[in-house]
Amino acid sequence: MVKTTRVRAGLAILAVVSLALGACSKDEEPAKNASGPIKIGISLPLTGDFSEPGKGIKEGYELWAETVNASGGMLGRQVELIFRDDASDPNRVVSDYESLITQDKVNLVFGPFSSRLVIPAAQVAEDNTMLFVEPAGAAKEVFTQGFKYLFYAAPAVANDHYNYLAEYILALPADQRPKTAAYASLDDPFAKGTAYGLRDKLAAGGIKTVADEVYPPENTDFAAIAARIASKKPEIFVGGTQFEDSVGMLRALQELKVQPKLVAFSTGPTLPEFPEAVKGASEGVLSPVGWALNATYPTNKEFVEAHKKKFGKEPSEDQANGFTVGQVVAAAVKAVGCADPTKDCQTKLAEHIRGGKFDTVVGPLSFDDNGRPEQAHMIQQYIKGKVEIVLPKSSAVQTAELLFPKPAW
Amino acid sequence: MTGLGRRFGKPALVLLGAALIASYPWLVPNSYLVYAGVLTMMFAGLATSWNLVGGFTGYVSLGHSAFFGLGAYGTGLLITRAGWPWVLSIVAAGLGVGVFAVIVGIAAMRVRGASFVIVSIALVAAVNLLAQGWRSLTGGSVGLRVPTQYGELTRLEAHYLFFYLFMGLLALTLLTWWFMDRSRFGTGLKAIREDEDKAESLGVPTAGFKVVAFALSALFVAFGGGLYAVWFRNLDPIFVFSILIGSYMVLMSLLGGVRYLFGPLLGAAIVAPAGEFFLLRLGETQIHLTAMGLLLGVVVLFMPEGIIPAVAKLFGLRRPPAASIREDTAEQRATLEEAAVQ
Amino acid sequence: MPSGSLLLQGLALGVLTGGLYALLSSGLSLYFGVMRVVMVAHPAFLFLAAYLTYSLHNKAGLDPLLTILVTVPLFFAAGVAIQRLLIARLAAETMAMMSVLLTFAMALVIEGTLGAVYTGSFRSINPEYATKSLDLFGTQLPYDRLIGFGMAALTLAALFVLLKVTRFGRSLRATIQHPQAARLVGIKTERVTGLGFGVGLATAAVGGAVLAIITPFFPAAHWAWIGKLMAIIVVGGLGSVQGAAIAALLLGVVESLVLVTVDATWATMMFYIFLFLTLLVRPQGFFGGRLAQRF
Repeated sequence: MVKTTRVRAGLAILAVVSLALGACSKDEEPAKNASGPIKIGISLPLTGDFSEPGKGIKEGYELWAETVNASGGMLGRQVELIFRDDASDPNRVVSDYESLITQDKVNLVFGPFSSRLVIPAAQVAEDNTMLFVEPAGAAKEVFTQGFKYLFYAAPAVANDHYNYLAEYILALPADQRPKTAAYASLDDPFAKGTAYGLRDKLAAGGIKTVADEVYPPENTDFAAIAARIASKKPEIFVGGTQFEDSVGMLRALQELKVQPKLVAFSTGPTLPEFPEAVKGASEGVLSPVGWALNATYPTNKEFVEAHKKKFGKEPSEDQANGFTVGQVVAAAVKAVGCADPTKDCQTKLAEHIRGGKFDTVVGPLSFDDNGRPEQAHMIQQYIKGKVEIVLPKSSAVQTAELLFPKPAW
Repeated sequence: MTGLGRRFGKPALVLLGAALIASYPWLVPNSYLVYAGVLTMMFAGLATSWNLVGGFTGYVSLGHSAFFGLGAYGTGLLITRAGWPWVLSIVAAGLGVGVFAVIVGIAAMRVRGASFVIVSIALVAAVNLLAQGWRSLTGGSVGLRVPTQYGELTRLEAHYLFFYLFMGLLALTLLTWWFMDRSRFGTGLKAIREDEDKAESLGVPTAGFKVVAFALSALFVAFGGGLYAVWFRNLDPIFVFSILIGSYMVLMSLLGGVRYLFGPLLGAAIVAPAGEFFLLRLGETQIHLTAMGLLLGVVVLFMPEGIIPAVAKLFGLRRPPAASIREDTAEQRATLEEAAVQ
Repeated sequence: MPSGSLLLQGLALGVLTGGLYALLSSGLSLYFGVMRVVMVAHPAFLFLAAYLTYSLHNKAGLDPLLTILVTVPLFFAAGVAIQRLLIARLAAETMAMMSVLLTFAMALVIEGTLGAVYTGSFRSINPEYATKSLDLFGTQLPYDRLIGFGMAALTLAALFVLLKVTRFGRSLRATIQHPQAARLVGIKTERVTGLGFGVGLATAAVGGAVLAIITPFFPAAHWAWIGKLMAIIVVGGLGSVQGAAIAALLLGVVESLVLVTVDATWATMMFYIFLFLTLLVRPQGFFGGRLAQRF
């Protein structure tokens, strides 16, 4: 008797649930709301390993939205940003974009942070034929997946970040030019990519690679790696690093008393916390950077001022990258005249970006067929405790001469 | 109460439940919810597979995601390097992982209890390291990309397909659990859970049985990994080899009840959406981790038998306490002990 | 062929790191010994201590090493509380599974709270001596590592004295060896277990302070340490603090030597290779003596 009741209860529950679900029918048509705010969907790593830069990019996006809305919005409509946290997890980032596109039916999407997250996220956008301009996926693998809607909104891809430095080194007269170089990279597609780009160019130019270390992301002990490098006494040291590993590596090199003539780290030195973290040792450290505080590109000064007003601090590269994404997309939307999540509109936007040239806070940007930007990163150096742009020489952005050889630690 | 109702009541309920679940993709309004359904289905299968060894033998493996990742990478590599068709790759990779699990199991199951847990953690950490370190084979931290094997299908159609594929795998795993539960093999395993030394002295081939259970469990988890590789197409070693996935399997089984056929499935149906919910509501900071942690803590402290017994109690359907002393709560035993000491 | 000086440098660094590992894993041995608890949250507590050290250093200007005067009693009390209020509720038969999950839950709660309070930024303490090193016949001994080693040695020495000489220590060892027998001779095992847990967590307080000086940290940093520390205590012998210390030194040196001669991946892999060797050859660990448990 109890079992009949249970069966009946179970059937009743099932019936109610299926009715409730059945009431929703599949709604696969993308919304074509011609009025109302333009919704832009974004997934960022606000927690987890990439949360620091993730927040920086979020600030860049927010500032852009505020700026655009203050001058009337896009196509006369206000811009609304919808953020999701992907916790630096590739599964989540796919979840987020899938829900933003098919559930929230956003008009546009902006990209997340890190090449690791960009690739799966771009897959979602591509499958839904949505434009995907992203601020931080620069590894070469990003551009070899056959994505037709993806664009990286910064001057150069990972392997080309150090191009100006390679040029400079190889152009030194033979008696001054260093002969040996050591590399230590984080096993991350972007970080490694930057170091390897420089390594390949220098090796082709005759500079011997005496050490080529790669360490896993969890590695916190750089002393032993530094010991290996110390034993080779390299004249150049290049760190394919991200954040704290640049600090750890630099400290370890100091402890092991390595004194190269030229030292470069990717990413780390471009962060405002770097000089404090390494105390006086930042002097002479080089780093590729896509954006410079004092660059005179149109819109940069306004960007810096607006950022200081909104956040009370100066922007750094992450905020600039976010802002640039917004600028590129806004220009495309304005030119093409639509902002719908339809295949037709998104394809037109993508084609426009592919063929166009855009004025952004990181300078003029143009892209190749695979979404790679075609410009080059600048090289910054800490001179007397300040960040100076030292390369490209004799350009509008240079603020000081490159200090070589580096003063001893 | 008619004989018909008694005879067909439970299986009918199961079939109806299965039908409802199968109709889920058709009933939800957008692609994202189908995607979420695929993930939940996958976790249900993984948790049920984990339960083949965890629930039956009591050996808690926190490192089961090692087999998930190996199945995924194995499948991916067979597809990309050897050019095999994807179905064959999944099966072959799964079988390979099963054999690997036998070898690992023989070594790992020489220790029990907490030591075994530690060993399982070390296993997944080691495999993670290997996957990231052997760059020439696996692509290192960059991960492995599996080209789309179902070119003509749209993204939504692919979600449908894999929903049913994962459901099929789940059904297979459930069937295996069901058969094991009724077999002498299963009884032997449960004896190991209750008291391994006594079981051995009674003639149960404990070493062999537990390794077989371990390998079976690894096999199905590896199949899940293979399906995931073909569906998701982006394998990130830090994700597929993480302790978190292994912990989810354990949490889901625990929450649903490790002694019940549908326990892990139920647990998955609760935990997977709960995770999404926490992330959506609280995702601005890491506090969503705290929420998950608290949920897990509450389950462990107050519902260690799982949700099914707790809910069944509500409907007045609790079976009388079984004869095994393992059913006593800590309080009951403490009372007994106190009495004994006096 | 790596040069002699490189090997010597590797050896030196390995010994220093091994000392640190010994400090960090000593607590783990205690938890396991007294209650067969796999305390997955120990590294999380380490970093909680590191964050507290960081805050105390920045807000109150305390030297990082002095902060342990605050954190050690705090963590001791917390350890006792955790054992009495949470762990003691778990049933003994399913202790393995439940304690892992419960402590895993604790780790998540800690990580979430740290992230919410401190954000995901990398934090570090950069004392003046952070980049200086002692030059010993051409081998560099970084000051921060030396200090870490010193703290580890002091703490372990204190722990040994506690365990071998004091009455409490004897009770603790008895409880580890055989809880029922201990009860039979009148030892109040519940109390001893709680205090043992407290001691274990107190070592985490010291370990965290040392970590804060040596390396930058972030809320999710603890995951990387679980595998290594677990491997150490298995190789050393579960439940034996001295076993863990010896294994830690050994593995620290091995890791460092492999790191300077091969690469980082193989170096970390050595932990797991040793673990599996232990399982195959001598599951109760190599250095544990009578306290080492197999299960």
